[in-house]
Amino acid sequence: MLKILIPTIMLFPTIWFSSPKWLWTTTTLQSLIIALISLNWIKWSSETGWTSSNLYMGTDPLSTPLLVLTCWLLPLMILASQNHIKTEPITRQRNYITLLASLQTFLIMAFGATEIIMFYVMFEATLIPTLIIITRWGNQAERLSAGTYFLFYTLAGSLPLLVALLLLHQNTGTLSMLIIQYSQPLILNSWGDKIWWAACLVAFLVKMPLYGVHLWLPKAHVEAPVAGSMVLAAILLKLGGYGMMRMMVVLDPLSKNMVYPIIVLALWGVIMTGSICLRQTDLKSLIAYSSVSHMGLVAGGILIQTPWGFTGALVLMIAHGLVSSALFCLANTTYERTHSRTMILARGLQIIFPLAATWWFVSNLANLALPPLPNLMGELVIITAMFNWSPWTLALTGAGTLITAAYSLYLFLMTQRGPLPQHIINLQPFHTREHLLMTLHLLPVILLMTKPEIMWGWWY
Amino acid sequence: MSPYVITILLSSLGLGTALTFMSSHWLLAWMGLEINTLAILPLMAQHHHPRAVEATTKYFLAQAAAAATILFASTINAWATGEWNIYCLTHPIATTLITMALALKVGLAPVHFWMPPVMQGLDLPTGLIMATWQKLAPFALIIQMAPTAHPQLLTTLGLLSVFIGGWGGLNQTQLRKILAYSSIAHLGWMIVIAQFKPQLTILTLVIYIIMTSATFLTFKLMTATKINTLAMSWSKAPIITTMAALTLLSLGGLPPLTGFMPKWLILQELATQGLPLTATIMALSALLSLYFYLRLWYAMTLTISPNTNNSLAPWRLQNTQNTTLLTIFMIATLLLLPLTPLAQALI
Amino acid sequence: MTPVYFSFTSAFTLGLMGLAFHRTHLLSALLCLEGMMLSLFIALALWMLQLESTTFSAAPILLLAFSACEAGAGLALLVATARTHGTDRLQALNLLQC
Repeated sequence: MLKILIPTIMLFPTIWFSSPKWLWTTTTLQSLIIALISLNWIKWSSETGWTSSNLYMGTDPLSTPLLVLTCWLLPLMILASQNHIKTEPITRQRNYITLLASLQTFLIMAFGATEIIMFYVMFEATLIPTLIIITRWGNQAERLSAGTYFLFYTLAGSLPLLVALLLLHQNTGTLSMLIIQYSQPLILNSWGDKIWWAACLVAFLVKMPLYGVHLWLPKAHVEAPVAGSMVLAAILLKLGGYGMMRMMVVLDPLSKNMVYPIIVLALWGVIMTGSICLRQTDLKSLIAYSSVSHMGLVAGGILIQTPWGFTGALVLMIAHGLVSSALFCLANTTYERTHSRTMILARGLQIIFPLAATWWFVSNLANLALPPLPNLMGELVIITAMFNWSPWTLALTGAGTLITAAYSLYLFLMTQRGPLPQHIINLQPFHTREHLLMTLHLLPVILLMTKPEIMWGWWY
Repeated sequence: MSPYVITILLSSLGLGTALTFMSSHWLLAWMGLEINTLAILPLMAQHHHPRAVEATTKYFLAQAAAAATILFASTINAWATGEWNIYCLTHPIATTLITMALALKVGLAPVHFWMPPVMQGLDLPTGLIMATWQKLAPFALIIQMAPTAHPQLLTTLGLLSVFIGGWGGLNQTQLRKILAYSSIAHLGWMIVIAQFKPQLTILTLVIYIIMTSATFLTFKLMTATKINTLAMSWSKAPIITTMAALTLLSLGGLPPLTGFMPKWLILQELATQGLPLTATIMALSALLSLYFYLRLWYAMTLTISPNTNNSLAPWRLQNTQNTTLLTIFMIATLLLLPLTPLAQALI
Repeated sequence: MTPVYFSFTSAFTLGLMGLAFHRTHLLSALLCLEGMMLSLFIALALWMLQLESTTFSAAPILLLAFSACEAGAGLALLVATARTHGTDRLQALNLLQC
C-alpha cells in the first residue's frame, strides 16, 4: 500500500519543483508509473482475501479493482486537462495538478482503509478537492450553485452515517472491515434500528446517486472542468457503491425487508434517467444522466445481496468508470473546439474528425453494453441476479437496457452523423494527446474482456 | 492608548480569568469575572467611535446583569445550603439561574442577542479577545457546575445555539457578525457535551480558539471586515487567501481538517451516551454554519478575476504585521486531525 | 421563606426585571444594576450576621467595592454614550443592529 501511497504523495514535490516546461510531462509520467506499479495489487494470494500492509490499510478483491482504477485515472485526468489549463498562470497549473493528486491520495486511502471510520473520513475528505475543482475551474456562473449542491447533498447524507457508524462501534466494539463481518449479527427490531439502517445506507445512495437524490450530479458534471467530470463519474460515484458493499455485510437481518423501496426506486431510476437522456440537448448532461442510470443498476445489484449481484455491480462499476470517463473526455474535445455543450450546434463531426468518430463509436457501444465488452458482463450478471430475485424486475431492467441503447445511439448520431453545420469552420485538428487519452481509456476496457476475473470481487 | 495602560489592562484581563480558574468559592469566581469585564471595557472603547461605545455599553449591560445573577443565585444556594463551594451547587433554582447567567455571559442561544452587535462594534484584535479569551472564565465555571446542572437545560441550550448560530449567520455580510454567529454555534457544541465529558468541552474550546484566532488574524492581515473586501484579498496575499479558505472549512468542520476532530469526538460521546437523535440534529445543524463559511469561501477564492467585483481595490502596501502567530494557528487549524488518537488518549 | 429572604430576593428580581423590560434610559438601566448589587449586599451581610461567621465578614465590603467599580464604569459609559450619541436613550443605540 505504501508503495503506491508514498509515490503519490511525492507527486506534490514533483508538481511544485519541476520546471514549468516539464510540469505536465513529469507529472503525467510519474502518475503513469504509479498506475503501472499499482497493477501489482491485482496479484493477490492470501487466503482471507485481504492483503494488508499495516493495521489500517489493506486491499482485498473488492477494493483492488477500484484502487487500480483510481491510480489509472490520474494520468488520464492530467492528460485531459492539459489543453484548457495550459493558458493559465503557472502557479494555478501547479495548484490544479496538486488538487488532482491530493484527490488521488484521499481516494487511495479511502479504498485502502480497513477501518470503516477511516473510510468515512477519507470519503468526506475527497469533497474539498472536488469542490475546488468544480467551483474554481468551472466555466459558468452556475458552478457555484453546482458546488453547493454537491457539498450539501453529500454532507446531509453522510452526517447521519457518521452517527450511525458511531452507534455501530458502540454496539460491536469494532469498526474494522476484517473483523466486523464475523461479529454477532445485531438484533434489530425497533423503529430506531430501522432508521439506523437507513442512515447507514443513505450517504452512499446519495453518492451513487440513487434516483431521487441525484439532482446534484448532472449539475456538478455539467459545470465541472473535464478532470472534475472524469473523476466524479469514474471514481467518486464508485465510492458510494463500494461503501454500500462494505456496509451491507453488517446490516444483514434488516436488509431483507427494508431494501424493497430502494430497489424499486433504483430500477425506476434506470428507466426515468434513461428517458431523460433521450430528450437531452446538453452533451455533458446526457452523459451525466446516463451515469445515474447505470448506477441505478449497480445499486440494485448490490442491494439484493447475492454473490452475482455484487460481482455484477463491481464489474459494471469498473467498466462504467472507464467508459463514462472516456465519454466525458470526448465531450470535452468537442467543447474545446466548438465552445458549446449543445449537441445540435456541433453535428456531423465524423466528416472532419473521422478517427475521433471511431472513438465516439467505440465508447458509445461500450456504454450501451455491446456483447464482448465488460459493460455487458456487468449488466447481464446484474439483470440475471435481479431476475432470479424477482422475475418482474426484467420488465424494468430490460426496458432500461433498451433505452440505454437508444440514447447511446442518439448521442452518437446527434454528434457525429448528419451534415456539417455552416458555422463550424476552422476547428483545430485532434491532437495526438487526445488520441492517446482515448486509447488509454478504451484499451483497459478491451483488455478486461480477456481476463474479467480480476474484477469479479470476492467470488473469484 | 499608551502601552503602559494596555499592559495594565491586558494583565488584569489575565488576572480576572486566572482568578476565576483558581477559585472554588463563588464570590471569588464572581470577582474574577468582574475584573475581567472591567478590564476589557476600556479596550473595547479605546477608539472614540459611536459604534465602539455602543458595543461597550451593550457588552457592559449584559455582562453586569449576568455577573450579578450568578452572585444572586449562589447567594440563594448559600442561604439554602450554607455552602459557597462551586462544586456544591445543589439548589435547583440556583443551578438553573447560574446556567442561564453563564449562557448570557458567553452568548449561548436564547440569550445570545448581545453578541453579534457587540462583535460588530469592535476592531479585529479586540474582537479576537472577545471571541476567544473572554469565553475561558465562564467555561471554567460551566465545566465545574455542569455535573449538577439540569441536563435537559444544557442540551436545549446546546441544540438551540448550534441551530441559531447557523441560522443567524446565513443572512450576514459583515465578517465580524458572521464570526459571532459561528462562535455561538461552536459554543453550542461545547455546552452540549459539558455534562457528559467536560474534557471534551475543553478540547473543543481549545480547538475553537485556535481556529477562530487563525480566522481573525487573517482578516486582520487583510483588514477585511466585509465579504466585499474579502473578495479582493487574493490580489494582496494569494497564499494566505488559499489557506484562509481552508481555515474557514475547518471552522465548518469538514473532515480532513482539524475542525472535524471535536465534532467527531462529541458525536461519539453522544452516541455512547445513547443520544443519537441529539447527535444527528447537532450534526445536521452544523450544515447551516457550513453554508455561510462556504459563501465566504466562494467570495474569497473561487470567484476571482476575470469576474467583476464591486468593491474598491485596496492599496497594495508592504505588509508590516507579524505573521508568526497566524502561521502557527493556521497550521494547527489545518493539520491537527491526525492527532485525534493523541487527543483521545489524553482525554 | 423568611421575610429577609423574601425581601432581598424580590428586590433583586425587581431590579433584574427592570433591567430586562424597562429599557428607555441607560441611566435607569444602571440604577437597576445598582439596585441588584445593593440587594446582594444586603443578602451577603445578613447571611454573614445570621451565621455569625467572621471569616465571611469581608465579603459584603468586597462586593460593595466591586459594585462601586462597576457603577463607575457604567457612569463612564453613560458619559461616553452621551458624547457619541447625544442622548442616553437606549433606543438610540441602534448603529449595530443586524
